[in-house]
Amino acid sequence: MNRIARLTLFAVSMLVLTAATIVVATHMPTFGSHPLPYGDAVNSLVPPARHISNMVSAVNFDVRGLDTLGEEFMLVCAVTGTVVLLRGTRGEQLTSRPAGMHGRLNAPRSDAQVLTGRLLGPLILLFGLYVVVHATVTPGGGFQGGVIIGSGLLLLYLCEEYRTWRWFMRSRWLNACEGGGALVFVLAGLAPMCQGAHFLQNVMPLGEFRDLLSGGLMQIVNAGVACAVLGGFALVFLEFLEETREPRDEA
Amino acid sequence: MIALLPWLVAAWLLGIGLYGIVTSRNYIHLIGCLNVVQSATYVILLCVGYRWNAGPPIFDPHPPGTPAVDPVVQALVLTDIVIGATVAALLLALAVQLHKRKGTLDPEALRPMR
Amino acid sequence: MTILLALLLLLTAAAGAGIVLSRDPRRQILAIAGNGLALTLLFSALQAPDVAFSELAVGTAALPLLFLVALVSVRTDRKSDL
Repeated sequence: MNRIARLTLFAVSMLVLTAATIVVATHMPTFGSHPLPYGDAVNSLVPPARHISNMVSAVNFDVRGLDTLGEEFMLVCAVTGTVVLLRGTRGEQLTSRPAGMHGRLNAPRSDAQVLTGRLLGPLILLFGLYVVVHATVTPGGGFQGGVIIGSGLLLLYLCEEYRTWRWFMRSRWLNACEGGGALVFVLAGLAPMCQGAHFLQNVMPLGEFRDLLSGGLMQIVNAGVACAVLGGFALVFLEFLEETREPRDEA
Repeated sequence: MIALLPWLVAAWLLGIGLYGIVTSRNYIHLIGCLNVVQSATYVILLCVGYRWNAGPPIFDPHPPGTPAVDPVVQALVLTDIVIGATVAALLLALAVQLHKRKGTLDPEALRPMR
Repeated sequence: MTILLALLLLLTAAAGAGIVLSRDPRRQILAIAGNGLALTLLFSALQAPDVAFSELAVGTAALPLLFLVALVSVRTDRKSDL
């Protein structure tokens, strides 16, 4: 549709949205003073039942673990779509070799930049690992820690040359990391069924309250999610940066 | 009126994000506006689960039993943020491919396929 | 409604408007990072540290880098794009 029709339709829908907002906002429950039955039930029942202190991780990986499995597969599908779109039209034979960078303005990295990256990069990776492992005790978990580790890998790109970075970012390891994470999640769900329990039921020893190794099956699921998120983000960064190489002349 | 501010801010973010999508001249700018619409849902979910004078639902220094906000909506928003970024990456890959085929990123200049 | 929450909600609204009103994609990247920071502050004030953590890592680090890398791939310094 042309521009005038689109803007007219948008104006009409904004009028409807404004009217609906005013009606709904006056009928919403008072901000901060209405009962939260599901939240109160989780807060009171889960700490003695699962021995962990991070309720958000408990809801993500145990109480509503099936929803997180669906979200996990959404992530895998989105990353697969991105990789297929970018790598499929570029061709497979270019990805395993760092290319010559003809025509690209590529100033060499300064010494300060390289030193900063080499000091900060491992610290960020270690911090991401800390956030992943402390999922059941402090604020943290697989999702946040995976994104931090993925961003740390991109920091290494900013501070090293493209050839060096491409040399240690192996596509196969990242593929295995991402797919393996989702696979660990599904297997951790199917394993209790071999003992006669439900899918994703917490059958492992639960540990002590506020200990690092508490929560049972939640730790395995958390590790799987962290691997999948970190593999996914690093793979997406890698595919976009591979796009910036000039295609070499096919002899 | 001030007590309605969370819902009004969420509706404002939705409206202005849609305005950006409708009047955008660059597909990458459009994906940023989609991000604004997503943040409207985060605001409304977290404001539904809030409770006055309550702490976070993480019982690390204080024992379980202290009043806490709703952890279920926080779990929803947490996974949604990460997945939203990944879907934005997929859309950016589509935009990159579009630029390679057509040479432009202007929605006005690109006609849908018949 | 405390003053802090009201101010943070208004800041979020302004940051969202800032993303939409920056038409140049290269300038929009910083607006996206600013929006991520505003949302992080709002989520911290709403007693949600996990969500604030996630939004900080994604909205200020991963998402602007993703947009920047996509722009590098597209190289929008041609005259045909805005």
